[in-house]
Amino acid sequence: MLEKFQSYLKERLSITDEQAKEATSCLKSKTFKKGTVLLNPGDLRSENYFINEGLLRYFSIDEKGKEHILQFAPENWMISDRNSSVFNEPSIFFIDAIENTEVLIVPSHFFVDIQKLLPHILELNIMMLHNSIRFMQKRINMLLSATAEERYLDFIKLYPNLTLRVPQWMIASYLGITPESLSRVRKDLAKKHFK
Amino acid sequence: MPTFKKIAAILNPAAPHMVGDGFRVHNFFPSGYKIKMDPFYLLDYNAKIEFSPTNKLRGVGVHPHRGFETVTIAYQGAVAHHDSAGNSGVIYPGDVQWMTAASGILHKEYHEENFSKKGGTFQMVQLWVNLPAKYKMSTPKYQALANNNIAKHKLPNNGGLIEVIAGEYLGTKGSASTFTPIELYTLKLKTGTKVILTSPANYNTALVVIEGSISVNDTEQAATNQMVHFTNDGSEIAIEAKEDSVVLFLSGEPINEPIAQYGPFLMNKPEELQQAIEDYNTGKFGYLEE
Repeated sequence: MLEKFQSYLKERLSITDEQAKEATSCLKSKTFKKGTVLLNPGDLRSENYFINEGLLRYFSIDEKGKEHILQFAPENWMISDRNSSVFNEPSIFFIDAIENTEVLIVPSHFFVDIQKLLPHILELNIMMLHNSIRFMQKRINMLLSATAEERYLDFIKLYPNLTLRVPQWMIASYLGITPESLSRVRKDLAKKHFK
Repeated sequence: MPTFKKIAAILNPAAPHMVGDGFRVHNFFPSGYKIKMDPFYLLDYNAKIEFSPTNKLRGVGVHPHRGFETVTIAYQGAVAHHDSAGNSGVIYPGDVQWMTAASGILHKEYHEENFSKKGGTFQMVQLWVNLPAKYKMSTPKYQALANNNIAKHKLPNNGGLIEVIAGEYLGTKGSASTFTPIELYTLKLKTGTKVILTSPANYNTALVVIEGSISVNDTEQAATNQMVHFTNDGSEIAIEAKEDSVVLFLSGEPINEPIAQYGPFLMNKPEELQQAIEDYNTGKFGYLEE
């Protein structure tokens, strides 16, 4: 239950098994059945979810009822709604479980609380934040300037196995293209590569 | 002197789960029970279930396979399928579809249109038959075995018949060609009929009671929807139908190679799974319209 998050910390901080165990001993896991909504617009959440097993999705629904997926969070990803977890303002997004999912609940104050035990944790948190900004910058640029094929090729690099785990329309929603365009992209790739 | 294969366990179907929205399956292995069934990797059993009439076709959309064969045996209901090699057809009760995914294929499976509109009873088995490493990347192929093309061995005294899908029963040769030695039969037995099935001791062996109830080796009883799993002792199984019964018998020589599995891919090494995912994502499995 805690092992994946302990490995996650150990890979990023030079700490011992014991430190990793002690640091995570206060964390609790929670399981959600496929389809469960973990966060609704208007909710306040002071926690992050680290995914042990399964898959979460972070998305909005526009006035016409169309879903727009901002992020998928498979195993070893951390997901949170910054608006509510950092700024204490009601969320404007949804999080739901696309598969049966087990998460570790990581409270926002966790990174502050365990500083004594893991002195470099704040640096790690800052690096994770920068990484997240880098990811967003790239994502914005792809949405503004890349072709459907380029977006798809970038997607399969980032999330190689999600094509086997989520329906096409969700991938299209994430890429900001229609399911028909995604089909065309895949068809064109098959024409190029299928022997 | 041949001896009976010992019964390892009589297994109840595990809790069902949906595959797409068209198949409500009990997995007997590998997730339902951890039993030794190599060369068979997976058995999903869609126990009898009623589907209501609908205009929307229930089923599973386009998905890939690599490294093994899917064998679909229909007992009730009808499934239409299409694959990226251009094959398509309908599997009706008594038919078998033996699809060798090997190097890679995309396919989709839906309830057949008329069946969907009328609704009705649905009952099927899907088996995943592993391929030896040297055939995993061979060219995909497809054997559509309509019931009238499946070899049948008539039992004496109007006792019923044995449909020999693969292997050989008392001189009746199975209709499907296989990459490794496999015995796969559907037994349709009248009340009181006794049969002896034979397969070498080292073959991994089980049977599933599709209809009715049977006694096995004169000692144990198995009822509808139960699986009987055998140990690797002995070479014979005695079956007696306690009522009119339908039984699926599967027995195969183990391949005994390492297994790496992810989703719809069944390979030998983790890096081959990575390759399969990459090949699927980049269109190397071809294309099939949703």
